[in-house]
Amino acid sequence: MKSRWYTQANVYSGLLLVVLFTLAPFYWMCVSSIRPEATIFSSRLNLLPKPFTSVNYSLLFIKTEFLRWFFNSCFVSLTSTALALFFSSLAGFAFAKYTFYGKNVLFTLVLLTLSIPQFVTIIPVFQAMIALGFIDTYWALILPYSINPVAIFFMRQYINGIPSELLDYARIDGCSEFQIYWRIILPVIKPAIGATGIIIFLGSWNQYFWPLIMTRSQEMMVVPTGLASLKSEVLVEWGMLMAGSVMSTLPILVLFLICQKQFVSGLMAGSIKG
Amino acid sequence: MSANKLSRSSWRWKQAAAPYLFISPFLIMFAALWVIPILSSVYMSFTTGIEPSTFVGLRNYSRLLSDPYFRIALVNTLLSAVVYVCVLTVMAVILALILDLSFLLGRWFFRSAILVPITMSLVVTALVFRLIYTTSSGVANQLLSLLRIPSVDWLGDPGIALWAIVLMRLWRASGYYALLTLAGLQNIPKDFIEAASIDGASYFESIRYVVLPLLRPVIAFVVVTSMIWALQLFDEVWVLTRGGPGSATTTLVTYLYQNAFLFFKFGYAAAVSYVLTMIIMLFSFLQLKLFEEK
Repeated sequence: MKSRWYTQANVYSGLLLVVLFTLAPFYWMCVSSIRPEATIFSSRLNLLPKPFTSVNYSLLFIKTEFLRWFFNSCFVSLTSTALALFFSSLAGFAFAKYTFYGKNVLFTLVLLTLSIPQFVTIIPVFQAMIALGFIDTYWALILPYSINPVAIFFMRQYINGIPSELLDYARIDGCSEFQIYWRIILPVIKPAIGATGIIIFLGSWNQYFWPLIMTRSQEMMVVPTGLASLKSEVLVEWGMLMAGSVMSTLPILVLFLICQKQFVSGLMAGSIKG
Repeated sequence: MSANKLSRSSWRWKQAAAPYLFISPFLIMFAALWVIPILSSVYMSFTTGIEPSTFVGLRNYSRLLSDPYFRIALVNTLLSAVVYVCVLTVMAVILALILDLSFLLGRWFFRSAILVPITMSLVVTALVFRLIYTTSSGVANQLLSLLRIPSVDWLGDPGIALWAIVLMRLWRASGYYALLTLAGLQNIPKDFIEAASIDGASYFESIRYVVLPLLRPVIAFVVVTSMIWALQLFDEVWVLTRGGPGSATTTLVTYLYQNAFLFFKFGYAAAVSYVLTMIIMLFSFLQLKLFEEK
């Protein structure tokens, strides 16, 4: 494309404007979290946090159950991600490298459910959780996210690409089938595990609808439901709320910075709620 | 000799049994958390769902058709979803085209910056925008007053609330979908575009006649996936307005939530969930068909 200097200038200024709008709310969240409550709303536009303080964070940790919620989110998300990865890689391995009764029927069934949104299952699952006494426990939070039909699909695709000779050599060497999975398949599909794991973790970390229904008490809330509960109709402490929002976003940002490649490839491959 | 024969046959047995064992954890969970609930809620939609639950055939569905609140939820959901998807797709394509420009420096910076919003959860986004949208002294209205535009009651005005939420969603997702589109864009062989420019096509002409048609599958993906999520709008609405003011921001999923978990009308809610599911599937099917024709 012929790039005249004014076209370039226009493009760059347009892009910078886009970045400005993109980062502005994020900036506002961060800035509001370190401002004293009284200065969050003022008649004049205050862009810089002139008096800044950490009181919102300390209030958040002391006055609310935020630390417990944070722990809950970590525990629930990590566990359900680990379970989902384990189940789907194992099953994906079976679908990719074995033949067995009902394999095609089963896989078609999985594909069909891909097109059915998960909220359709919520009422029966809710009733089952009540019957099992799992409501308001970690089970109700972990289980719904420990199964991911999309993950199976990806795993199978990826494992299909592994030459079967590798497995035969391992068998000749005396490996059991599970050892083949553990020692050969898993290391080879690390990229797929990383990318899929990040999508599942992200989805679980940000979940609101399901935890809202599956938990009742303050102690069992996860970060999204907990933060939302801080926003009452009457008196809202915005500084605290923004501090909580920053804490909620921080792990994801850290994940983004540390494993950028996995993160981006996961986002590209999967469907993020949006 | 015989020891070898024994171990080999048990080895074969283990190899034959392996796939079934590998599948079973997934299968059990899949049946328990997906298959059985899906079938169960289909059945539930034909019952009252309230103890004692009686079979009522299509009564829930016929009630839905004459329910004014359902109609409002339906219109809100469809309208907001369609507008959202259209604007989102246009923005994603434009951003992707700009980011693909050959002379662009600092691409990494721009790409990372536009990914930041999607790292904020829906709830966090809603809370931050609630702050921004505050009528009397929120940032949005302060900025408007700088431009001499009168204040807007972003979340309190029934005519505006839904669109304020759509705007928020657009803010959050545009960067992500732009990057998806960019990935597709970069997969297009450069020869096509070069051939077009050799033939004398201008930049915009080559975009229109060469790039966009080749970008069809990616755009289809963006449209279909964003539509699927747009139709399920719940989190932001519930955190911000609970479906209000009035029922200005009630969507199908908020309506489902209210009926199931506030009124405990499980059968009715199940019917709502299936109507929404059918709408989602219908839209996905139509959109795929639309983008398929060569």
